[in-house]
Amino acid sequence: MEAQSSVWRPTGSLARSVIVATVGVVASVVGGRPVLLVLVAPMVVTAAFALVRRPPGRPSAHVTLGHRLLHEGQGTLSRLVLTGAEGAEQVTRVAAREPYVRVHPAAGRASRLVAGGPVDFEVSPRRWGRRTLGDGAVALTSAWGGFRWGPVTTGGDRISVLPTSVPYGSRAESPQPRGLVGAHRSARTGSGTEFSGIRGFEPGDRLRRINWRVSARSGRLHVTTTRAEEDAGVLLVVDALADHGRSDGVDGGESSLDLTVRAAAAVAEHAVRQGDRVSLRVLGRDSRQLGYGAGWVHLRRVLGALAAVQPVAAQDGEVERLQLRAAEGTMVVVLSPMLAEVLGTVTATALRRGLPTLVVDTLPEDAAPAVTRGTDPVAADLAWRLRRLEREQVLSSLAALGCPVVPWRGPGTIDEVTRRLARRAQQPRVVVR
Amino acid sequence: MRHWTPGQWVVRLVVLTGPLLALSAEGLQGDGPGWPLLVIVAALSAAFALYPESPAGSVAFVLVLASWWEGGAGLVDASALLAAAALIASHVAAVLAAYGPDDVPLDREVTLLWLVRGAAVFLAAPAVWLLADALSDQPEQAGVWVAGVVAATTAVLFAIVAGRDREPA
Repeated sequence: MEAQSSVWRPTGSLARSVIVATVGVVASVVGGRPVLLVLVAPMVVTAAFALVRRPPGRPSAHVTLGHRLLHEGQGTLSRLVLTGAEGAEQVTRVAAREPYVRVHPAAGRASRLVAGGPVDFEVSPRRWGRRTLGDGAVALTSAWGGFRWGPVTTGGDRISVLPTSVPYGSRAESPQPRGLVGAHRSARTGSGTEFSGIRGFEPGDRLRRINWRVSARSGRLHVTTTRAEEDAGVLLVVDALADHGRSDGVDGGESSLDLTVRAAAAVAEHAVRQGDRVSLRVLGRDSRQLGYGAGWVHLRRVLGALAAVQPVAAQDGEVERLQLRAAEGTMVVVLSPMLAEVLGTVTATALRRGLPTLVVDTLPEDAAPAVTRGTDPVAADLAWRLRRLEREQVLSSLAALGCPVVPWRGPGTIDEVTRRLARRAQQPRVVVR
Repeated sequence: MRHWTPGQWVVRLVVLTGPLLALSAEGLQGDGPGWPLLVIVAALSAAFALYPESPAGSVAFVLVLASWWEGGAGLVDASALLAAAALIASHVAAVLAAYGPDDVPLDREVTLLWLVRGAAVFLAAPAVWLLADALSDQPEQAGVWVAGVVAATTAVLFAIVAGRDREPA
C-alpha cells in the first residue's frame, strides 16, 4: 500500500538553528558583543547548510511483501520502497504493533541513512488468522536535518496466515470408505491388491485373475478376488463458538481455538495426502461449510477457511438447526472443547445416523474462563467448574454411545481411534434412520 | 522514557546538559549567571530533552545568549569556545534524538556522520574567536562586524535562492 502524500517541511532543528543564529548575530552586531557571534557561529553554519540542502520533489513510499501466502511461524521480508526521495539523507521506519506479528530487527524500529540501502523488516506472523503485515510509518529527513517528509503511514497488506499443518504418516484405514478410487481397503471386492478370497470363474473375470494352482487341483477355473480400494470422505466439524485459554502464538501456549484449527489443518492435510475427500463445517455465527473436495488446491481452500475462523457465539437456534451434510461412510471428526451443549447434540446425531464419528477434545488443560471486568471472580470460578462438570457428563454420554473422545496431542492423535473405528465397522451394527 | 534505548538516553543527556554547561561557562570569565536563570534554563533544557523538536530548545539557547550578552561586556575569552561547543553539542544531540520516536535505536552511521558534522561546524567558533581576538585592538569594530555579517547573510541568502532554483516546478 502506498503512503499518503506529503511534502517536505522544515524541522524543529532548522527552526532552532535559524532562530538562535539570527538572534545571536543581530544581538552581536547591534550590541557590540562579538562573543555572541562566537557562540552562534556553528549554528549559523548548520542553518546555512540545512537551508541549502532543501530536497526537491515529492517522495512516496510503499511497502512490498516477499510472500503473500504464509503459514504461522514462517517469515517474509517487508521491504520499504522509496521513490522521488532525491535529497533525502536519512529514513526512519516504524512498524505498527500488530498482535501475533513479530518484526525483526529492533522490534520494527529503524533509523538509518538512505544511502545505506533499503530499510527491510523481517515479519513473521505467530498465529493463524487474518493479519496485517507491513503496516507502519515512514519519515525522511534531508541532509543536515533541515527538512522532513512525513511521518506518513504506509498501510499494510492483510493476508491470511494459514495454520501449521504438520504432516504425519498413518496406516490407519478409514472406517467406511465409500468412493471410487483411493487408498483405503473396502469391504467389497474389487480391483485392489489386498487378498479377499478364491471363487469359481464367472464370465467377465479377467484372465490374469485366474488362480492356476487351485484351478488345476479342482479341475475347474477359479479366480483370486481382491478387496476394492476406495477413497473416503472426512467431514471436519470445527467449533468456533468460543475461544478458551490464552494464545501465545505458534511457539507458545495454545488456546482451544488454536488447538481446534491446527488439529483440523493436520487432519485435513493427512486426508488429502491419502486422496480422501475433505469437507469443513465451521460452527459459529454464519456457520459456513466448505464442500467435499480432494487435492492440494482444495486443501488450500480448507486452510484458508480455517484461517478465517473467528470465535463468535452463534445466534439462538442457529446451531441447533444445523444439518451435517455427510453422506454414508463419511468419517465425522468433531474438533471442539465440548463446552457448548449443542456440540454434544450434533455429535450424537451423527452417531445415530451410523456415521463413524470421533471427537477431538481441544480444551487446554490450563484453560481458564475469560472473565469480563466487574464479574465476581468467585462466581466466575464456580460457573467454570460447573461448566466443566457438564462437559465431563457430555463426554461420558458420547463415550457410552460409542464415540471415541481423544484430546489433541499433535499429529497422529486420531490414528489409534481411526483403527478402532475401522475394526468396529467390520462388525454388524444396527443403524437408526 | 521507559522505552528509551541506551543511545537515546545518552543524546538526551547531552541535550539536557548542553545549555546548562554553556550558561555555566560564563562563570569562568567572571560573575556567573544567577540562580533564577539557571533554574529556568534547567527547566527548559529538561523540556528540550524530552521533546527535542519543541521550541523549548530555542528559548533555552536564547536565554543563554542573553546571559552572555549581559555578562560578556565585549570580552571574548576561551570560555566562549566551551559554551559554543556545549550549544552545538546539544543541538546535534537534539537532531539525533528527533529522527524518530524515542524507542528507535540510534543508527551508528548516522551518529558518526553527525559527530563529524558537529566537530566540523564547531571550527567556525574558534575561527570567529580568532578573528575577534585579532580585531580586538582595532578601532571601529562595530563597522567591521556589520560588514562581515552582511556579507555572511548575503552568502546564505544566495545559497538559499540557489537551492530553491533546483526544485521542480
